[in-house]
Amino acid sequence: MNCRHIKNRLLPTNTSLCSLVLFLSFLLMALLAPVIAPYDPYIRFEPYRSPSLEHLLGTNDLGNDIFSELIYSSRVSLIVGFGAALMATIIGTVIGLFAGYFKGTPDEILMGITDIFLMIPQIPLIIILAAFLMPSFYLIALIMGSLWWTSTARVVRSKALQIRETSFVEAARSLGFSDMHIIFSDILPNIVHVITPKFLMAIASAMIAESSISFLGLGDPTAKSWGMMINFAFIRGGFINDYWWWYLPPGICITLFVLSVVLISYAFEESEEAALRIE
Amino acid sequence: MSIAGKKIGRYLFALFLIFSMNFIIPRAMPGDPLTNLLGEDVALTDSTVELLRSEMGLDKPWSEQYIDYWWGILHLDLGYSYHLHSAVSTILLSRIKWTLMLSLPSVVLGALLGTFMGALAGWKRRSARRKMEASSFLMIYCTPPFFLSLMCLYIFSFRLGLFPLKGFYSTGSPIDIIHHLLLPVLVMTLFSSSRNYMIMRGSVLQEKCNLYAAFARAKGLYDEEILFRHIFKNALLPIITMLALDFGFIFSGALFIEIVFSMDGMGNLIYDALMSRDYPVLQGSFLIITVMVVSANLLADILYGHLDPRVSRY
Amino acid sequence: MSSSKKRPILGVDELSVSFQTSLGEVLAADEVSFRLHEDETLALVGETGCGKSVVASSILQLLPKNAEVHGQVVFEGRDILRSDEREMSHIRGSKIAVIFQNPSMSLNPIIRVGEQVAEPLQVHRGIPRHRSVQMALDHLNRMGLRGDTAIMYPFQFSGGMNQRVMIATSMILSPQIIIADEPTKGLDDALARDVVSEVMKIRDSSGAALLLITHDLQMARDVSDRVAVMYCGQIVEMGSRDDIFENPQHPYTAALLNCLPEKGFQPIPGSSPSMIHSPDGCKFHPRCQKRFERCRLRPPMEVLAGTKGASERQVRCWLR
Repeated sequence: MNCRHIKNRLLPTNTSLCSLVLFLSFLLMALLAPVIAPYDPYIRFEPYRSPSLEHLLGTNDLGNDIFSELIYSSRVSLIVGFGAALMATIIGTVIGLFAGYFKGTPDEILMGITDIFLMIPQIPLIIILAAFLMPSFYLIALIMGSLWWTSTARVVRSKALQIRETSFVEAARSLGFSDMHIIFSDILPNIVHVITPKFLMAIASAMIAESSISFLGLGDPTAKSWGMMINFAFIRGGFINDYWWWYLPPGICITLFVLSVVLISYAFEESEEAALRIE
Repeated sequence: MSIAGKKIGRYLFALFLIFSMNFIIPRAMPGDPLTNLLGEDVALTDSTVELLRSEMGLDKPWSEQYIDYWWGILHLDLGYSYHLHSAVSTILLSRIKWTLMLSLPSVVLGALLGTFMGALAGWKRRSARRKMEASSFLMIYCTPPFFLSLMCLYIFSFRLGLFPLKGFYSTGSPIDIIHHLLLPVLVMTLFSSSRNYMIMRGSVLQEKCNLYAAFARAKGLYDEEILFRHIFKNALLPIITMLALDFGFIFSGALFIEIVFSMDGMGNLIYDALMSRDYPVLQGSFLIITVMVVSANLLADILYGHLDPRVSRY
Repeated sequence: MSSSKKRPILGVDELSVSFQTSLGEVLAADEVSFRLHEDETLALVGETGCGKSVVASSILQLLPKNAEVHGQVVFEGRDILRSDEREMSHIRGSKIAVIFQNPSMSLNPIIRVGEQVAEPLQVHRGIPRHRSVQMALDHLNRMGLRGDTAIMYPFQFSGGMNQRVMIATSMILSPQIIIADEPTKGLDDALARDVVSEVMKIRDSSGAALLLITHDLQMARDVSDRVAVMYCGQIVEMGSRDDIFENPQHPYTAALLNCLPEKGFQPIPGSSPSMIHSPDGCKFHPRCQKRFERCRLRPPMEVLAGTKGASERQVRCWLR
């Protein structure tokens, strides 16, 4: 008797649908920013205006239209999130695949490295590197990506360990296919379903970290992101003067986007469990 | 015993590597290593620059510098802040107690609250209250800690005036300090419990499918008795190490909470150091945080060994 | 074995259990009816996947929540399928106990054996922890386990030892009914025989009624008073042990007996039907060598003439 039959979802199915819609609309917002945004985010109007029909979320200290800024900022935030997650997923997958497939000494070395990376306090390290390098947002994504692969590597490794023992991998090996061929064309397609939720969770972590670093003023000063908007609002009086329309929308955007990504990731894991049930 | 020895060895090795990385970073970064080690905006004459360069051993080969670096660390010498005109270790020591005052109660409360509520959430979700709980924890989980603090500061201190706006104390009496600490601790507890909640919920969901849970029910245990007598500890064991690894993230959250609440702990120290590019302080803070994270993991391993008879018996 | 005088203590009437899966509805038990009498052993036998364990689990409402259960299970004058979880928890372990297959997985890996055996005492009788563990220790001793077993953990034991511990746990409150769900499954021969003798000891010493779920015909023959044969969710034949083993009436029972070693391991032709699209009519007819036109209609469960009473003979076959 298996109690996985008992439905214990975090939220009902239509929630995953909603989160997918939310996720896609954020993507569209980033892609179509020039179409949606009423103004160029660098045009200056009268500063510190309250929300009105003309400026839906008012203007900031420089007179930029905050609503347009919000829409354009989604681009940098999403690029950092996706870029870091993509990089982390690639590193983690490759390391996990190699460790799981070759076992033995390569496994011990790779997992030893993973354990050490797990131990590094990531956000403080990113802060230090960002302070030294004053990086562009691409570099920030790169740094995060090179730190965030550990959990993916662990999951991929344990899956690869299982799959390498299956008959079709044995068959491929006895037919004389090369290890690389087996790893990337036989094993990899069979673990995509465990990588996907990890990829989504990495997007979530990267976005939270990017906004946190930007909030410290360590973001790319030439690029606008949601975290940078909150930083400016915080240090230039938006918070003290109660201009909620300045710092609240970017924060809500980060939270909602992260929420949509996390929910989709959970939906993935749950459907994965459902698939296991049917065998 | 040999397993424990191996574990400790691995942690020491991790520490060694991370400390070495800390040595390499300022020297490998673009720009003059002297500036990278002293911090920017430190106005110095040319002669003092040369004097400092030789005093700090930057004219020596890397290998000797590296040995000097370890010599310093073993003597708890983390460098000198030319901004604050004080040894970094002294500065850190004076700040860290405030950070611990904020984070220790929150980490403990967050672990208790998060695992307890998370276990219940993984056990079943029938009532509307559970759904509300799950959604709120999920929302907190998805909110960057600094934004969560900003919102709480705004609502409870700014709008409702229930708590002071900033700092650790104004008069310095214990009650005053507690009054100042209450809201940040609350935010931090929510933040850390939301992470523990998510992990524990997932673990209980898996664990309750085991046959021993079914047998407990067959023995006549009722509902949550099964959860707390049988499943809770089993679900907690595999995630103790995960919770410890998450400690680094939670502790980083404390830094941001401090910054928002303008509290003079490590968070604001790091923030000020960033503003003035005071690299020695940044690096020293990084080392201290690393040591704390590694110790938390070691502690988790020891705890795990004590709690799980399958480990301690071998 | 004159079980005809004994009173029934458990009545299962037209019990049907179905599960909704993404592939369709699985009918795991189809109008199963039987009585269990005081002080008797009824063996429910059948191949793996015929639904016998589902019947066992549904009696104590231990099925997953997506199971749809119809019918009645009458115990102490009440239909306990209608009892709520709280009432069931009072019955489970104290009046009706279960012994699972896979003892090593059924015991909690990180709790001392003594505590686990003592738990029913604490939960049902409210006996304080220290005293209940002492009682559990005595109980384990009576079952022939050494004194230091109580402070050990399940992972330190063999599967056979764990099986004894589980039997001890189920027996500690002297329940009226014991349901043993495949107690020998996955055990090697010597261990299986051990467990069989253990089960027989229980039956003889406690006076409890035993519902033995097994795929092991030899075990059924060794310990049971009556046997019910299940195929594809239905009981196809039921009667006293000697009747079933010496004079099988249903073609499936006969085929099953032919699988016994002394009959030369003759396998049943064909394979077990899917529980999702099970055959119309007699469920065995696609594999039955004696089938005829009428077998496409569903045969009723009929009592054979002259066998009224507790050991009445029932067969679900048009040939009778």
